[in-house]
Amino acid sequence: MAGTETYTLNMGPQHPSTHGVLRVQLELDGENILSAKPIMGYLHRGIEKLLESRTYVQGVPYTDRLDYVSSMNNNFGFCRAVEELAGIEVPERAEYIRVIVAELNRIASHLVFIGSLAIDLGASTGMLYTFRDREEILDLFNLVCGARMTFHYIRVGGVNRDVQPEFIEKTYKFLEHVPVFMEEYKKILLGNEIFMSRLKGISKMSKETALSHNMTGPNIRATGIPYDIRKVDGYSVYPRFDFNVVTGKNGDNWDRFNVRYNEIFESAKIVRQALDGLPEGPFMAKVPKVLRPPKGEVFSRTEGTRGELGFYIVSDGSTKPYRVHIRRPSFVNMQGLNDMCRGYLIGDSVAAFSAIDPLMGEVDC
Amino acid sequence: MFGKGLITGMRVTLKHFFGKKETFCYPEEKLPMPERFRGGHLVIDYKKCIACQLCSMACPNQAIELKVVTDAQRKRHLTSYIHHMGRCMFCDLCIENCAIHGLHWDQNYEISAYTRDAFDYEVLTDDDRQYLKEVMEAAAANPAPPIVPKKPAAPKPAEAPKPEPKKPEENKETEVKPNE
Ligand code: SF4
Ligand code: SF4
Repeated sequence: MAGTETYTLNMGPQHPSTHGVLRVQLELDGENILSAKPIMGYLHRGIEKLLESRTYVQGVPYTDRLDYVSSMNNNFGFCRAVEELAGIEVPERAEYIRVIVAELNRIASHLVFIGSLAIDLGASTGMLYTFRDREEILDLFNLVCGARMTFHYIRVGGVNRDVQPEFIEKTYKFLEHVPVFMEEYKKILLGNEIFMSRLKGISKMSKETALSHNMTGPNIRATGIPYDIRKVDGYSVYPRFDFNVVTGKNGDNWDRFNVRYNEIFESAKIVRQALDGLPEGPFMAKVPKVLRPPKGEVFSRTEGTRGELGFYIVSDGSTKPYRVHIRRPSFVNMQGLNDMCRGYLIGDSVAAFSAIDPLMGEVDC
Repeated sequence: MFGKGLITGMRVTLKHFFGKKETFCYPEEKLPMPERFRGGHLVIDYKKCIACQLCSMACPNQAIELKVVTDAQRKRHLTSYIHHMGRCMFCDLCIENCAIHGLHWDQNYEISAYTRDAFDYEVLTDDDRQYLKEVMEAAAANPAPPIVPKKPAAPKPAEAPKPEPKKPEENKETEVKPNE
């Protein structure tokens, strides 16, 4: 009888299901995956270095390009770090507006996740529905800041411009719409037997493994650890809002999907509370024209859509940061890929990439 | 029952098949852009522009290339305003930093082009150049009294309006980009 050998398969960097330019080296035994090694760097743009050669204010639009489906959260993280460094007090109205747009962006990003997971599993209709509804959010953002992808709306010291009454009205309308389209996804996807069997019990991960890989965001919440920076740190005005941290039980792909699915409701809840309590006042703090934060360093973290988004900034007292390092959740979460793929079939690897929800702009930075 | 979920899903799809269309016929119909929309070409209010170059200094990507002359009355004017759109990320910083709020977008989102050169967009129009000519001539006819009365006036700080006074004529490419 002939012996068998393992086989190495390069998946990507140009592969439709890798969400960009991720290359995964799969070690296969027949159809079983022995190991999966993500190889990154195809989308490296040197954003950290770019930020070091720009002033603090000029750096904000570059953070849009990290996690480009939830730019608001990146702007938020970077601006918070700079504000902490420079000791800028942000007006309350600005904080509320920031929370509103960041949570709307989280919804938009989770919709992209649901859509891309659906299309990766072969349900291409699913994607069209989620993108249709994401469009509403993008239109809201277009209204308030004039861009649909790279917003550059949250600025150091507040937000760029005040929200219009039209925006508030339309956001309320959108919130009414949330349960409607979520119900529709439930009908299309959640009840679908094929969709379910492709996800349930696949890519299981224990709490310990997830912790040892330093995973954050929905990926760790799916394993049952209620780790959410919005609760843990309670930054900005989040402690004022009532929302739950959604967790899973088994840490399989089905839980990862469900955590994000239910987070949409929680985010919608936050947006509604923030809109109800939106205080009057200025939307921008007094920021000196030439911003020179005092010497020092800061590490500030926020809950990005994909996990803990941290900005480490060192200031040497000049107008430009001396060093910027970005803790990108997608990059760290990718470390769990091997554990999620090992022992499963090659077809499940596609579901595993999708369920991690990496964004290559953020992985490579 | 296996397959029940599939049928439910199909029913939703079918409903939408006969329902209202979510899309529209793009090139024929166009979406109106909101007032704050950032995109398209830059438009400058040339008559108000004081050639202070704050816009190009605010740009994180050095996408704006200005050429400045000083007339006989020692006033500065732009002779060329190139917007390198290939470098531009539509961050709006140039517009927000304009000293006279005289810059805005034309909001045309159909700005794709066949060649790279087409992205080096000259913002000044022929009218603006005509206006510049008139102003230069008028100034030459009535030069400012002291120092050098010749047409390309001496590069002296003189009555420089806003930012750091530097020699205007040498601003081939604005590389200074601090502050702002
Ligand atoms: S929009 Fe931003 S990148 Fe583009 S020219 Fe203006 S400042 Fe530069
Ligand atoms: S900032 Fe405004 S006034 Fe100054 S050069 Fe640019 S367009 Fe002209």
